[in-house]
Amino acid sequence: MTTVYEQQAPPVPIVRRSPAPLLPAVLWAGAAAVLALWWQNTGSVVGTAGRLTGAGRIAGLLCGYACAVLVGLMARVPLLERRIGSDRVSRWHAMAGRYTVCLLVAHIALIIAGYAAQDRVSLVHETLTVVLDYPEMIKATLGTVILFAVGVTSMRAVRRRTRHEFWYYVHLLTYAAVFLAFGHQLALGAEFAGNPLAQGFWYALYVGVAALVMWFRILAPVRLNLRHRLRVEAVHQEARGVWSVVVQGRRLDELGAEPGQFFRWRFLADGLRWTSTPYSLSAPPRPTRLRITVKALGDHSTSVALLRPGTRVWAEGPYGSLTADRRTTGKSLLIAAGVGITPLRALFETLPGEVTLLYRARSADDLALGGELEAIARWRGARVLYALNGADGSRPRLTPGALHGAVPELADHDVFLCGPPGFAEDMYEALRAAGIPDRRIHHESFEL
Amino acid sequence: MRKSHPIRRAVLAGAATVSGIVLLLSLKPASDPASAQAAGGAAPQQTAASQESPQGGSGQQTGAQTVTGDVAKTQYGSVQVRLTLSDGKITKAEAVQAPKGGLSDQKTAMSVPKLNQEAVAAQSAQIDAVSGATYTSGGYKQSLQSAIDKSKAASGAAGGSGSGGGSGSSSGSSAQARTVTGNVAQTQYGSVQVRLTLSGGKITKAEAVQAPKGGLSDQKTAMSVPRLNQEAVSAQSANIDAVSGATYTSAGYKQSLQSALDKAGG
Repeated sequence: MTTVYEQQAPPVPIVRRSPAPLLPAVLWAGAAAVLALWWQNTGSVVGTAGRLTGAGRIAGLLCGYACAVLVGLMARVPLLERRIGSDRVSRWHAMAGRYTVCLLVAHIALIIAGYAAQDRVSLVHETLTVVLDYPEMIKATLGTVILFAVGVTSMRAVRRRTRHEFWYYVHLLTYAAVFLAFGHQLALGAEFAGNPLAQGFWYALYVGVAALVMWFRILAPVRLNLRHRLRVEAVHQEARGVWSVVVQGRRLDELGAEPGQFFRWRFLADGLRWTSTPYSLSAPPRPTRLRITVKALGDHSTSVALLRPGTRVWAEGPYGSLTADRRTTGKSLLIAAGVGITPLRALFETLPGEVTLLYRARSADDLALGGELEAIARWRGARVLYALNGADGSRPRLTPGALHGAVPELADHDVFLCGPPGFAEDMYEALRAAGIPDRRIHHESFEL
Repeated sequence: MRKSHPIRRAVLAGAATVSGIVLLLSLKPASDPASAQAAGGAAPQQTAASQESPQGGSGQQTGAQTVTGDVAKTQYGSVQVRLTLSDGKITKAEAVQAPKGGLSDQKTAMSVPKLNQEAVAAQSAQIDAVSGATYTSGGYKQSLQSAIDKSKAASGAAGGSGSGGGSGSSSGSSAQARTVTGNVAQTQYGSVQVRLTLSGGKITKAEAVQAPKGGLSDQKTAMSVPRLNQEAVSAQSANIDAVSGATYTSAGYKQSLQSALDKAGG
């Protein structure tokens, strides 16, 4: 089959290095600087009270730093969202969030125990003194209560039982909590007393993060939506429970969206207005049109099917790092499962070089966008492989051997992987066993 | 997508954090130079105090007299002052009643020790109001004046002339008064330095010319230093109680106070 694709890529594409390893290094360096602040300020650590208070201060400083980092990671900074990947950044945020709540507990317990030991009073008495008599502490206590509420509502066991919107709006209170807790850090933090340099550092950290949030979470989306004026143009059914939504707008080429990326969508219709949901572009963006494809999984995705043409749309993006510039070789294997096909469908059309698509679905009825995939395959001379359940309901075995059999020269491919977390984990293992190095497996997975 | 091991990761993160903090804490010296010196100086302090007590303590015993002023009502509660006088001089002033509850607790804690100290220093009711505690200060002065009046009445004409004019007695004391400044004592939170005003070998005024500043330290200094000043005047020695919650400042204060007393004695 001849390839009639005009934008044939050079055999070895230019590799853009991901800043993914760099960012944690910078963040850890910041943590070390915070510890240095404590180190430089502390002359000696005397007795049990001194040790408790010292440990409490370290925990408190790290907690204050971590709060700024947590908010910063979620500020939708393009560098993080597009180069490192939204999924990865939100996993870091979740991990760091759990750690921060632990630091917060340690900070409170150690400080109160340390002060109580110093003053030789009971823990209850000291707690009351600290909360009621120390400046800024009522606010800080309120902030702590909110942060605990955010932590509890984010626990997996609780999240499964509550609505997404509930979790989301409790999570938004984090901003208030961080603001409330900020005062006591400077008013009571021994490290900041009489140390303008440390105070400057702390203000820079918090003001910087606030500026990022203000710009990228508020002003940039407002600007985007004022400029591009998005509306629903049409809704089509693609397969059983799978719907495509075509969104029209102005000058959409100026969005800079690439195949493989997603937007966070808010449809200004009843029942959808208050929820912003990430959906990938299921076709390369056009100057006046974007298309997403949604699988009916919950209330939200089900009501997307009922959207009427003309409905206003509020979008934020583009986000996501599963794009063509992740390639390191001239050959790509795209592996999709279920609705994970959507970003890969867009990449299948546009990814330069030799492309193979492996599409895992339960049955032929569940294949979304099947006709389009075939058409693209014919048009660009690419291959589509399906991995469907057997007639008896047995799952296809995607073992390293089976992959090698299906895809010649498998080890020379870049792999783009998108699917539910369990599937993606299993595939990752199989691909590694098949001899593909980690740096050539590009995946995106949202586990919430 | 590497397999994640949440439990292993949590255990590792927890162990790394705890051992990091323990390591940091253990790398710091385990004894505070200032408090170690203060503790070392405690024994000589005892002897110094016992040597001084014949002139200060027991002298107070023989001529000591306690007078309690009238209750002065203020908008926020009652104020009542009790004075301890020795040979017609106020050696100690304290408030047996002061406004309580809510913000008043704070204002009382802030103002009363200062007012007590001013009363001892001025030897009269002509003391400055503490800013931010105007009502309490007003009540305090009123009750203080009544206590002074009572003491004059009790000790007759001699006492009356002694403390009748606050200005008279203070000018009398200033004739013989001298000032001694102690060494700077370093504490974890900053330096403490005490200046004493002595009159006839007795401490009539103690003040801190340096004390820890900034953040929580401001609060701790505001809370402890007036009380320490007052204790120094009433104890006439460095053998004073530490103020709870301000252990480091108290230790530094005692150390500098002792050095001031040493200088005054030498």
